[in-house]
Amino acid sequence: MSEQFDLKMRHLTGGVGIDTEELTGKTFPYQFDRSLVDDIDLDAATPGADMNWLEDITLMTEDGVTAVFDRYTNAFLKIYFDIPEGREDEYARKVLVKHLQEGNSYGIWLKHRHAKYPQPELGSWKDDSPIVGDNWRPTEPEGWEPPVGH
Amino acid sequence: MEQVKTGRYDIRGLAEPDATAPKTAIVTGDSAEFDAAELSTRQVNLELRRLLYDEGIHDVTVRNPGAKHSIAVGILTRCKLLIDGSLGYFGCGLIDGPEIRVTGRVGWSVAENMMSGVVVVDKNAGSLTGAALRGGDLVVRGHVGARTGIDQKGGTIIVGGNAGSMTGFMMQRGRQIICGDVGAGMGDSMYDGAIYVAGKVKSLGVDCVESEFTDADQELIDRKFAAYELDAPSSFRKFVCGRKLWNYDSLEPNERKLVL
Repeated sequence: MSEQFDLKMRHLTGGVGIDTEELTGKTFPYQFDRSLVDDIDLDAATPGADMNWLEDITLMTEDGVTAVFDRYTNAFLKIYFDIPEGREDEYARKVLVKHLQEGNSYGIWLKHRHAKYPQPELGSWKDDSPIVGDNWRPTEPEGWEPPVGH
Repeated sequence: MEQVKTGRYDIRGLAEPDATAPKTAIVTGDSAEFDAAELSTRQVNLELRRLLYDEGIHDVTVRNPGAKHSIAVGILTRCKLLIDGSLGYFGCGLIDGPEIRVTGRVGWSVAENMMSGVVVVDKNAGSLTGAALRGGDLVVRGHVGARTGIDQKGGTIIVGGNAGSMTGFMMQRGRQIICGDVGAGMGDSMYDGAIYVAGKVKSLGVDCVESEFTDADQELIDRKFAAYELDAPSSFRKFVCGRKLWNYDSLEPNERKLVL
């Protein structure tokens, strides 16, 4: 199993807002350095002839900080670099795609532990994505027996 | 009394838990084709996953799908699928990444919960088309039934023909573009998003109102219709939420995230 995130580093506040740093205890370089996402090709990164689902992704704010919403984690990813005027949504989308392509989405990482069916970890984002969930076994309480008739 | 075992119990609820991929596909380079006529639903889906996940094939054709239910579900990779025929209910659901074309008709709930990707249906679709769609493009060249895009949370649904009653029911985000007429109760209880209609609307649902059609709306329609080689009607009307029922922000702020 991937050890990418150390859950002891989490610092859940229990507040209304939940962001990626709170869930994982980590930040990522592309949250701070715009140049790291400049070369992301949004059309190439998504299915179809245009940006596909990224049309619904826009720059938002969380706790007063600019942020993009990562629906795979159901949490915000804050963006700390300055964004040129008029390119807000473009950079929000680029940061999100970089986050997904590098396998840093907490919700996707959870597949290592919880996926019940064989599936590519990052199938939509990486061609050589490893298969996860192919050895899932249910946790069986002591003394459990199959239902009658099965 | 002696108990009869009917088969292995699978806690995940899998039908045919011991089924294996039939390995009947004919592979040519990066593409493959197989006949689904004599295969069960689970065998069809296992064969698809074997080709896409294990063999690294990116272009698969399924012949004779026979209107089976739940075909091509849970495909989580970038690929092209051609379903040569019709599908039953819940076809192409829970997908993230594929570009799928169905040459026939589909039953209810096609492409439900799609995260990203493209699904094009050449003929008609049943009710609940694109239910809970999260993202991607769903194109039905024919007519669709009732409650199209119910609980839609993103993405774009394009309908070449008419749509049934309660279209856009509880829609929370995304776009619907309907070239024909729409039945009663359109946009009932919609929370956000936009519904474009070229034909007549029988009646609007609760809190659905007409809105100004802008240049950005026209750009969206022109771009999508060009991408799917559809003939666009000369004009559309735009319908959105009247925001009389908005209360998430004051009652349950965290609920907001469920629709992002």
